[in-house]
Amino acid sequence: MIQIECPFCGKRDQSEFSYGREGQITFPALNADENSWYDAVFLRKNTYGRQIETWQHTHGCRSWLLVERDTVTHKIFSVKLAHTDWQEQIKKTT
Amino acid sequence: MNPLRKKNQSRTDNVEENVIFFFWNNKKYFANKGDSIAAGLLANNQHVIGRSFKYHRPRGIMSAGVEEAGALVTIGNGAYTEANVRATTTELTQGLSVYSQNAWPSVKFDIGSILNVFGKFFAAGFYYKMFMGIPPFEWGRGTKIWMFFEHFIRKAAGLGQSSRLPDPDCYEHMHTHTDVLVIGTGPAGLQAAISAAEEGKDVLIVEQDYAIGGSYLSQPDTVELETQIEVLKKLRVTILTRTTAFGLYDDKTVGLVQVMPAKEYKTSSKKPRQQFNICRAEKIILATGAIERSYAFINNDLPGIMSVSSARTYLNRFNLLLSKNIVISTNNDSAYETAIELENAGATITILDAREQIGNKLLQQIAGLRINLYLGSGVVKAEKGLNTSSIGKINLVEFANNKWRYAGNLSCDCLLISAGWSPVIHLASHQGYPINWNEENACFLSSGDNKSIFLIGSARGIWTKAGCIQSAKEIFQYNSRKKHKPSTVIGGWETPLAPLYEICLHNIKGKAFVDPQHDVTSSDIRLAYQEGFISVEHMKRYTTLGMATDQGKMGNIIGLALMAEALNCSISEVGVTRFRPPYTSISLGALAGRNRQSHFKPIRRTPFNNFSIQNKGVMINAGLWHRPWYYPMESESLEAAYIREATVTRRSLGICDVSSLGKIIIQGPDSTEFINRVYTNPFAKLPVGKARYGIMLRDDGLVFDDGTTWRLSENCYLMTTTTDNAFSVMARLEELLQVRWPDLSVQVTSVTDQWGGCALAGPNSRNLLTKIIDDPNEISNESLPFMGIKQVLIQNVPCYVARISFSGELAYEVYIPSDYAQSMMEFIWENGQKFECCLYGLEALGTMRIEKGHLTNAEIDGRVTIQDIGLSKMASSNKDYIGKVLKNREKLTDSDRPQLVGIFPKDKNKTFKAGALLNEAGYSNGHPLGWVTSVTFSPALGHWIALGFITGGLAYVKDKNIVLSDELRSNFLDVEIVSPQMYDPEGLRLHG
Repeated sequence: MIQIECPFCGKRDQSEFSYGREGQITFPALNADENSWYDAVFLRKNTYGRQIETWQHTHGCRSWLLVERDTVTHKIFSVKLAHTDWQEQIKKTT
Repeated sequence: MNPLRKKNQSRTDNVEENVIFFFWNNKKYFANKGDSIAAGLLANNQHVIGRSFKYHRPRGIMSAGVEEAGALVTIGNGAYTEANVRATTTELTQGLSVYSQNAWPSVKFDIGSILNVFGKFFAAGFYYKMFMGIPPFEWGRGTKIWMFFEHFIRKAAGLGQSSRLPDPDCYEHMHTHTDVLVIGTGPAGLQAAISAAEEGKDVLIVEQDYAIGGSYLSQPDTVELETQIEVLKKLRVTILTRTTAFGLYDDKTVGLVQVMPAKEYKTSSKKPRQQFNICRAEKIILATGAIERSYAFINNDLPGIMSVSSARTYLNRFNLLLSKNIVISTNNDSAYETAIELENAGATITILDAREQIGNKLLQQIAGLRINLYLGSGVVKAEKGLNTSSIGKINLVEFANNKWRYAGNLSCDCLLISAGWSPVIHLASHQGYPINWNEENACFLSSGDNKSIFLIGSARGIWTKAGCIQSAKEIFQYNSRKKHKPSTVIGGWETPLAPLYEICLHNIKGKAFVDPQHDVTSSDIRLAYQEGFISVEHMKRYTTLGMATDQGKMGNIIGLALMAEALNCSISEVGVTRFRPPYTSISLGALAGRNRQSHFKPIRRTPFNNFSIQNKGVMINAGLWHRPWYYPMESESLEAAYIREATVTRRSLGICDVSSLGKIIIQGPDSTEFINRVYTNPFAKLPVGKARYGIMLRDDGLVFDDGTTWRLSENCYLMTTTTDNAFSVMARLEELLQVRWPDLSVQVTSVTDQWGGCALAGPNSRNLLTKIIDDPNEISNESLPFMGIKQVLIQNVPCYVARISFSGELAYEVYIPSDYAQSMMEFIWENGQKFECCLYGLEALGTMRIEKGHLTNAEIDGRVTIQDIGLSKMASSNKDYIGKVLKNREKLTDSDRPQLVGIFPKDKNKTFKAGALLNEAGYSNGHPLGWVTSVTFSPALGHWIALGFITGGLAYVKDKNIVLSDELRSNFLDVEIVSPQMYDPEGLRLHG
């Protein structure tokens, strides 16, 4: 069972978190064309190896996180807050 | 075989106070404290312990450890029954009841053993080949013949039966963090724990047995073991016995299960029977030892045949000399140590060594002892003795001109086998560390990652005690940052072993077992080869080799070797199947721990829960929620109750608990923009003090959830969601705000539990509200119009009132702070008595919403578009929102998609159920036109009605005859398809 280092709560068991989706997806503008929405919603890289993915600390501070994880070894390389401003602020305070 | 208990020995002294009694198949026997069940049975001359899985052959004790494939028993009575317990690893306690398995009427005379006579028909895959269609013409193929026979086949096969009573014991979960975890307490494990503790590490050492010591316990002298344990205790190392490390998982996590000794959990119910322990360690040292293998020869499963090392364990640990006259068949040096000890204990030994020569040191050691040595020799067949089910005679072979040939027979009542050792590499395999075949020592080896996972001792293929201890010391002699390069030599015997997996002669026939627990024979493996199941994964599944509770600890390698021989390749080319946790079977109770019943699925109670129960509400589970279902008067049935509740509500007044709806506060300068992007319909111009019904879509354009959102102030909203989606809508909003639109300045907070919601519905609802509210002017038709919301004081408590309606009547939802909910509800109910008034539950709520064509998750099931549910008018074309683009995908906009409709039976007396299919008359088979989602009796209309979906909707089926068919319940009727707004379609009642 992997552990994830939540920037607010510290190292916690995977069971406190929910997996979100692949983190490299950039959702297009709400009025973008159908093809770019189709790509964002339905096409997945299904990476073998290192990838960025979103997780939520559901049973904790409820932050959405960007987790860089190896899908083969489950090794986690980095965890940061998905909210860009919050991540900046937490960097400053720590 | 008649085992003798030696007297006055150290560990299990035969003094009176150390004698305990136990029951074997209801007969009382005596044993020594500290005996395993197997030792106790051997001491009482009980050799047939169970019957085999398939052929019902008598099975005895084959080992003294976890690899045991023969002596499986059931222990305990009633609810405490535990089946398939290994007699070899379970401690005998005072008064324990032990039973044999898979035998009827008794283990000595078992009717099922008739199967053995026809055994040659019962090869691998037999049942499937035979009963899927009976040869030669596959009679019955494709019929239910298999189902018929399966019943009997299952009855004949199998192991013990567990109790059907609920488990009375409790189980605990815990988490452990440690610097170093050592698994196994043999010479290597103890040394590793000591070396780690001397470095100042926090060390946990676990042992699956009930005694600490591993192979030390099988040695004649215990001084060294006692010294090591003393050192460990001084170093404050945590030692857990009866604790199995059953699996190695990601991130250096080990699953441990600790079993409490029987006497402790029964005297105090507070103590858990087993403890499931998730252990995280910086370093994990696998000192898991090795398991001695057998080889295949005919009748190698007879009681009285055992591994060499187990005879040593019974001799030194349990003071039991198995027989006065012992034959040992071996192919390696390890058996000689045992032979010498058995001889010293008074036995005469015959060694059959498959090798043609052995080293001088060994020869010197046995010189002058009562040990007869035959080199180049082995056993081809065992035969049972007269008047016994156990072994009585063996047929010998000798090795000449590169092949075996018959060499007469020998009477023998105890045969010990050693055909090499298999290191326990299971845990390393769980994590996928490489496993390599070592030709010289004929075993699979793994070395972990040598950074944080290490294998030491015989688990790494080191056969000498000194070598094992050295391998443990080595790990800590290296700087922990560098990769460990072990220097200890693998192996360590004077003469290498001669690979030995099977001895057979073409003219001697019979069954030679590879996997004795699943009755897999050497001919089954050859059959698998012949039929093309040559990959190990295929062979395993075809023959079931290694799929029994022992997971092939003894037999797997023989199976691989036989396949390699058939394929004419090496074992490393055949490969090995990856081991999966658990290493030994663990109980489901331990996995569940305290997460049982309401601790597994906690109950959510609304703030009105006590009120509902006081008023005789019958509760129903809705997800985790307990919600009032109906409020029966006297002996009223569910149906009578909900019809009455709905009728009274439409006629006068009803009160309903709606607290379980999700409630989310949305605040911030950008909250209007945010809500506008989330819902399909416009919210930008929603005035303060008003609510609006909204639909939200998923990214892919399908409907996600619906609910009302109230504008409490300029930048503050209360969003309500369906009960089912409360959790996922919240997570979704958080994702949007944190991941997708971090530029929006909005905060969301769930306040579901902070407010009790109560619906007042019916023509008298405003009249009631007038009576309870502090300032009745606030809720007049003018000051609180339809869809208006207002903060009001009730009994001086600030509450929210919203004029919204799910029932279609003039109705209000009153939101009361949870702490006041109970007393406030009593106050409302008291005032309600001034009118004709009732409490209504979920069933009546459902009835009224179906009459109105309002939606729940029965309709919004994740497959429907906003057009399908008839709300396309709510999809704004003037703004952008989530799902807007993809909802217009091809096929999602087709007019012949199933659309929401109402359904009436043509014969108004007929009833039907949800899940029924809709078809055009004459087309009752194949793909249906539609289906029924929600059904109720409508008191307002006086007959059964339903909501459902039908291809093309009302327009398509206008002139067609539609038939409802419920094949499962054989219910077929003609129906009329109508608008989903079946009652008061103009909404006149809504406005009172």
